[in-house]
Amino acid sequence: MSATAAAPIKSVDALNAAPEEYRLAVRKIVRSHAVNELYGARVYDEPAIALAPTPYLKWLTCRIAMEEYGHHVRFRQLGEQMGIPESEMTPEGRKALSIFEFPLKTWEEFCVIKLLADLAEIIQVEDLMKCSFMPLRNLAKVTMPEEIFHSQFGKDTCTELVKTEDGRKKVQAAIDHYFPMMPAFFGKADSANNALYRKYGIKQRTNEDMRADFLKRVRDLVEGHLKLKLPEVAEAA
Amino acid sequence: MSDTARDDADVAWAHVAAFTAEIPRLKWFAAVGMALVPGVIAAAERHVAALGLAPGPVAPVAGWREAAATAQRPDWSRAWWQAEVACEQALQRQGAARFGLQPLLAALTALAEIAGGLQIHATSALAAAGIDDPALAKVAAGAAAQACHQRGLALLADSETGRVFTAKFELFAAGHWPLGIVGGTCFVF
Repeated sequence: MSATAAAPIKSVDALNAAPEEYRLAVRKIVRSHAVNELYGARVYDEPAIALAPTPYLKWLTCRIAMEEYGHHVRFRQLGEQMGIPESEMTPEGRKALSIFEFPLKTWEEFCVIKLLADLAEIIQVEDLMKCSFMPLRNLAKVTMPEEIFHSQFGKDTCTELVKTEDGRKKVQAAIDHYFPMMPAFFGKADSANNALYRKYGIKQRTNEDMRADFLKRVRDLVEGHLKLKLPEVAEAA
Repeated sequence: MSDTARDDADVAWAHVAAFTAEIPRLKWFAAVGMALVPGVIAAAERHVAALGLAPGPVAPVAGWREAAATAQRPDWSRAWWQAEVACEQALQRQGAARFGLQPLLAALTALAEIAGGLQIHATSALAAAGIDDPALAKVAAGAAAQACHQRGLALLADSETGRVFTAKFELFAAGHWPLGIVGGTCFVF
């Protein structure tokens, strides 16, 4: 049996009949999202509650933290249905993205992380919304509105912050710190994993294509909208 | 663990399970903007007193826009927020000593997953007021979920410190949204 975009895998049960490399590829994606959503909630969203400058923003950040944790729960539940051990779907059991090694220090950093990292997440989830594995496609569709809100939150809060000179400096400093880590989010160029994902219609776009899309959209946001400077980075991870 | 301690633990878990089941059934945000009845004012005063803060006036908030503005005023009380955080930390230590940290966190996680569904109540209440403001719905849902977490901690720790959050949760259970202490006044929406 071959799994392609034209012949989607409609359920977790149907996954058992798919080729092994298809099953392994889907497991890898589900595991990665489960780990990174939880890692992000722990390292950024929960600590940001204490840094938020007003009760309004503290409660909004509470809610965002819950939603990010909820994304982890959804991916973990799908992973459990697929037989992925729970220990492989938490940060304790998996290597994390490099960005999670830099603990949050300021509210401005949090706003910039929502601006940059949630846009990167949107681009990844947009691609999964056409995934040949329907449970993953459906999960992406459910998750997308919240991801869009989180990214908009980053844009709105950064827009407010840059209205003062001090705020502009702090947002720029946070962009300078975090942006160089972002291109690696999309994986290596000429990735064998990505080629496999595309072969089976699990993903639609190359890592390079998604990275280029991210860089264009983030440049529009940072330089076009916020009137700040985007640091130069190597586009290939 | 002695039989008495085991019985106490069983009672605490039963209380948390009952509370978790109760969360979706409460009339969340059903009384926002309404006049504060004496029982609500008394609960707000008990909440402030249990935090160890100086007593002050308790005031209503007329509408959602006013509530959002109140929660963004620069003169909000950092002492109020920090006092709540200190109580949460004390209760978490007490609860962890009683049950172990992992079982405590597992119970609170189950509670949080239920409380995650409260946004629909805030969205409905806003819609009833003719307001479409997804961010404000999330702010209200965040405050409600925080109160559920705090009340759950209080039930699990079963100490005097928990009175802070028992009184606060009474306000949510009565359909209100306590906005904290701003400019020396305890605002209840």
